Amino acid sequence: MKGKDKALVLMGDGINCEFETAHALRLAGFNPELIHVSRLIEDPSVLDHCSFLVLPGGFSFGDEIESGKVLAIKLQERVRQRLEKFIESGRLVLGICNGFQALVQMGLLPESTKDGKNTVSLLSNESHHFINTWVELTVPASSRTSSNGFFEGLDHFQLPIRHGEGRLGVPEHLRKDILTHSALVYNSDVNGSFEKIAALKNSRGNVLGMMPHPEAFVRWTHHPAWTSMKLDNPELFRKEKEGKLPEEEAPQGLRILINARKMTEVL
Amino acid sequence: MTQSTHDQERKSPELSKEKSSILCLAVLGEGNTLPTYWIRYDQQIVNRKELEEALVKVLVDSTYQKALLASNQERLSWLEKWIEQGYLFWAEKQFQPGVTDNLSNTIEEALGLTGISSTVEVASGAIYLIGQEELKAWSVQGLEGIKEHAAYSLYHPLVESFHVYDLRKAPPEADCLLAFPSVSLNAPRKPQVIPLALDDEQLMDLSRNRLLALSLDEMKVVRSHYKNKQHRQLRKERGMPEDPTDVELEIIAQTWSEHCKHKIFNAKINYVERKAKGEKPAYHQSINSLYKTYIKGATKKLRPVRQDLLSVFEDNSGIVKWDDETGVCFKVETHNSPSALEPYGGALTGILGVNRDILGTGLGARPIFNTDVFCFASPAKEQPQRPKLLPAETIPRGVRKGVEDGGNKSGIPTVNGAVHFHDGYRAKPLVFCGTGGVLPLKLHGIDHVLKHTVVNDRILMVGGRVGKDGIHGATFSSESLHEGSPVTAVQIGDPFTQKRVIDFVMAAQEKGLISGLTDNGAGGLSSSVGEMATITNGATIDLDKVPLKYPGLDDWEIVISESQERMTLSSSRVDELMELASQYQVEVSDIGHFHDGGSFEVMRGGECVASLALEFLHGGLPPLELEATWHPTDLATRFTGKTAAANPETMLLELLAHENISSREKIVRQYDHEVQGKSVIKQFMGAAQQAPCDAAVILPVLTSRTGLVVSNGLTPQWSDLDPHLMAIMAVDEAIRNGVCVGADPRSFSLLDNFCWPDPVLSERNQDGDYKLGQLVRACQGLYEACLAFTAPLISGKDSMKNDFDDGVLRLSIPPTLLVSAIARVEDIGDCISSELKQADNFIYILVAGEQSLTGSHWQELYGGGGDPKLPALDLEAAPALYGRLHQAIKKGLVTTAHDLSEGGLAVALAEMVIGSACGADIELDALARRENRDDRDFLLFAEGPGRILVEIRKDEKEQFEQLFAKDHVLLGRVTAESRFKASLCGEELVDTTTENLTGAWRKGLPFN
Repeated sequence: MKGKDKALVLMGDGINCEFETAHALRLAGFNPELIHVSRLIEDPSVLDHCSFLVLPGGFSFGDEIESGKVLAIKLQERVRQRLEKFIESGRLVLGICNGFQALVQMGLLPESTKDGKNTVSLLSNESHHFINTWVELTVPASSRTSSNGFFEGLDHFQLPIRHGEGRLGVPEHLRKDILTHSALVYNSDVNGSFEKIAALKNSRGNVLGMMPHPEAFVRWTHHPAWTSMKLDNPELFRKEKEGKLPEEEAPQGLRILINARKMTEVL
Repeated sequence: MTQSTHDQERKSPELSKEKSSILCLAVLGEGNTLPTYWIRYDQQIVNRKELEEALVKVLVDSTYQKALLASNQERLSWLEKWIEQGYLFWAEKQFQPGVTDNLSNTIEEALGLTGISSTVEVASGAIYLIGQEELKAWSVQGLEGIKEHAAYSLYHPLVESFHVYDLRKAPPEADCLLAFPSVSLNAPRKPQVIPLALDDEQLMDLSRNRLLALSLDEMKVVRSHYKNKQHRQLRKERGMPEDPTDVELEIIAQTWSEHCKHKIFNAKINYVERKAKGEKPAYHQSINSLYKTYIKGATKKLRPVRQDLLSVFEDNSGIVKWDDETGVCFKVETHNSPSALEPYGGALTGILGVNRDILGTGLGARPIFNTDVFCFASPAKEQPQRPKLLPAETIPRGVRKGVEDGGNKSGIPTVNGAVHFHDGYRAKPLVFCGTGGVLPLKLHGIDHVLKHTVVNDRILMVGGRVGKDGIHGATFSSESLHEGSPVTAVQIGDPFTQKRVIDFVMAAQEKGLISGLTDNGAGGLSSSVGEMATITNGATIDLDKVPLKYPGLDDWEIVISESQERMTLSSSRVDELMELASQYQVEVSDIGHFHDGGSFEVMRGGECVASLALEFLHGGLPPLELEATWHPTDLATRFTGKTAAANPETMLLELLAHENISSREKIVRQYDHEVQGKSVIKQFMGAAQQAPCDAAVILPVLTSRTGLVVSNGLTPQWSDLDPHLMAIMAVDEAIRNGVCVGADPRSFSLLDNFCWPDPVLSERNQDGDYKLGQLVRACQGLYEACLAFTAPLISGKDSMKNDFDDGVLRLSIPPTLLVSAIARVEDIGDCISSELKQADNFIYILVAGEQSLTGSHWQELYGGGGDPKLPALDLEAAPALYGRLHQAIKKGLVTTAHDLSEGGLAVALAEMVIGSACGADIELDALARRENRDDRDFLLFAEGPGRILVEIRKDEKEQFEQLFAKDHVLLGRVTAESRFKASLCGEELVDTTTENLTGAWRKGLPFN
């Protein structure tokens, strides 16, 4: 397809991670373009010219009612159908934090629903506090069987979480099924999420929603322990400073986006 | 002009009471607090069934929630269920009329998206179901107990209504239930003419009754201005009455408020020093403006060596050059009085306000970081109670939450801050909100550091609508709190609307559509337009064009209202701006134009209701003349010569748990401190994310490797001992903190924020002259320190009336100076953090100052003790020492650095151990020899400026010692074991595990 390297990054209406997300996508080899929610709604056909849609983190509509809810309502009317086609064609959708919450609210995760209603929810953290901390994450074994998609070559890694509503709530009847959609789990219980789930993907693996922020770990100096890491591995930091870091040595947040680029290359 | 909705009565009038109905929807989900909404709609326009469906779609998550829906009259039927479920009481709350209700605004927008007409109005609140469990948890009984508990924990009485009912008694009349909170105001009054042919007493009555906060001298100047024959003639020609209109008088009062004009910092001061209290003056000095002499004075002297200063003390924030394309700007504001009344709203509007200062810098700067520094009275101690003082524990909680929402919802990381407790802050909490930003130096060939407003540019108001919010905020913050403090001073911010405004302004800036802008803060339009008018020498606004939240505002209220989230722009490309605004869903109103007629006019209904000569408005205020006196504190009263009996290890653990020292992690984790992806050194570093870092480092430009260091210094505990020393220590602390993470010590730019108790002598303020003397001493100290460190001040702010006085009790804060700093680190890879890194490395202390137990936290806890002299900083040695340390850091010799501050050496080293897997083993003998003191408490816990602990690579000892000829002392080594050991002359002073240290350090914050 044309415009394989083109990624659309949603902005506006309280989304606030659009710049660093675009920056991270550029580092991963994409050609990112910011698009205001209002413009996407005006002209959803812009989706036809890109391979990757990213809903970045933030506080869309002030996080009022439920996180991501009003953004979902806004996108539902005009963009939903186009987006379904986009997904059916195998192109990629990534929702990060608030973007994940919006994908869930639109009923696009864990699997696209016909009526556009959500089947699971991202609720207030058990502590009822917003939390910004780096967490240990694992790609669940069940998810590692076939192609790993976004998490190819990544089993365990750390990323920051920054959310007040990241506790996945799953109704009784979906609890078994949801495990097949679990794309990433927290090593320890950070917010009370069902089965410590940190990310969900659809069965095809081209729609991913995750609470941790991959765009917040695209240089090694993002990591809270980097000043010690540098003493243990000065070579890595020298390469990064000189801009000569090979892709396989990139920080894991960036590697998730590099994996996405590789997935779009075969489209 | 689709966005310029001039129908100010868009909302309420269409929904007249007779035609409108009220629905109530409560959401049953997790727990027994039910989010509750009141929905007012017009039955003739909106179909109830469709509305109900839309409401459920928007408000209820069917995966785990259910809706209770009824008309407001019918909802008493819900009670039966609750009785069945065993609840004993139920309560409901909602916002009072006119209070910003962000949730409801979003719901109205969401309903609009589902196709429901915009004539539906929503109000949000909650229902609480209360059973035995709650009563037990709150330890209360009965209705009155619940009410008492609820105030400030479940609701804030100044902004919310709260009703509670006993389920075991007969249900209340449906009419008594909370209904829709509508603002109902009388029809606005026509502008009044205020006769000024008054005697002095009447003039002061006028000032007091109208809350003008103008002094007699100032009122007299206004009176004589209006008496002036020429002026009278001019007014006659313009069809204006001879005497001022209320609109004019209010504009003058706003413009001349202490908050806006900094009268005390600009006063002529007759300063005397005495050897001791009551003695004859030993030294006289007459100071023509502290601001010009010491603040601007320091910067003026440093200009030749600091080519990077692009705009200082001119714009809404100070701008320094960052690289060839970019400038960095920084500003810190205080929001003390609003936070004393409603801590959440006060802090929220504080942070959003300083964000707008950055947005309004140059031709628009993008906010990239926030800072927050709080000073509170400790809620863990018994504090004075008065009806007008909020409970001590509600203040820190509300303030913290306000900064959380303000920063997080705006996508601006909160990267640096401090919390300081002192009983004196019971008078007023201090809430310092800071924001830094980046702006292009040039765009489309236009210099973006300057404003380019020209005659005939339109005046555009962008963002929120105007209500009664914050009327008299500027004058109010210039007064001590008293019984008559107006409730309209309380405001809640709307970070979502402001985020849209920021996105819009940034987009407009990139397209080159803006010729000038400033924020609407204190004084509202009267200040923003009044100030921008000086660029072209004239402006006219038309109040008919100003969109209102609700009808019923008097003209003077519209002009001075401080309703939030508004910017004032100048532009000649209005149509393009309007089109962009429609995409960004921001309301933009064309309210007037700039001219060069030398005046500021306000029009209403085609008539002129205010016409003020700009020359008088901005130049007519006579400088104050004030008396200041200072004498040194008699240290003998502080020095008892006692030494503490406790063992050093116990003292260390108790100091770590001190409220001024303990971990701030609980606060920091609730702030998004990494959004924007710029973070390099965070508040907590290390593998365990526990090492408290001295300063933040961020990347202003993501594609570069040059880091921006952000730090602060705040040392009010020294104010009553020596304010001169206090100011030097604050500057030193800010710079030392920055240097410890890798900042180049020659690159610092500073901000000064003075918060002082009223320094003007009066009957109720008998030592006002001494407080002014303290201010003079602090300014002199600040000046000396800035010059010594070649660190210019680039912006600042002062808040001069931080007292509480209700006629019965008078409380004052300790004189407080916050120094905030930014600096550069050429390559972020050189930054270091505060946790010990590798076993066997060496631990040194670097010394450029004298320390003392007097004024220390050790002295506060263990009484007595102290020293006959105060700490001191060697102003020549310190900059040189920090310079050498910076060289050593760049060479990679230093793996860790941490400054000594509260709690002295032992606490600083404990903090380096806490975040680390390693431990420390030190011997104080060499330090004892250098200090010529052998008492362990002094060596472990004395406090003072100019001291830094460093960890040096084990194989770089020689190179390091060469670099630091005299000013270092070897203390010991880093160990592999997670322990902290210290000894003196073979005697073990401390030997404890990291776990013990961490446990003590993490439990000391007295609020959640």
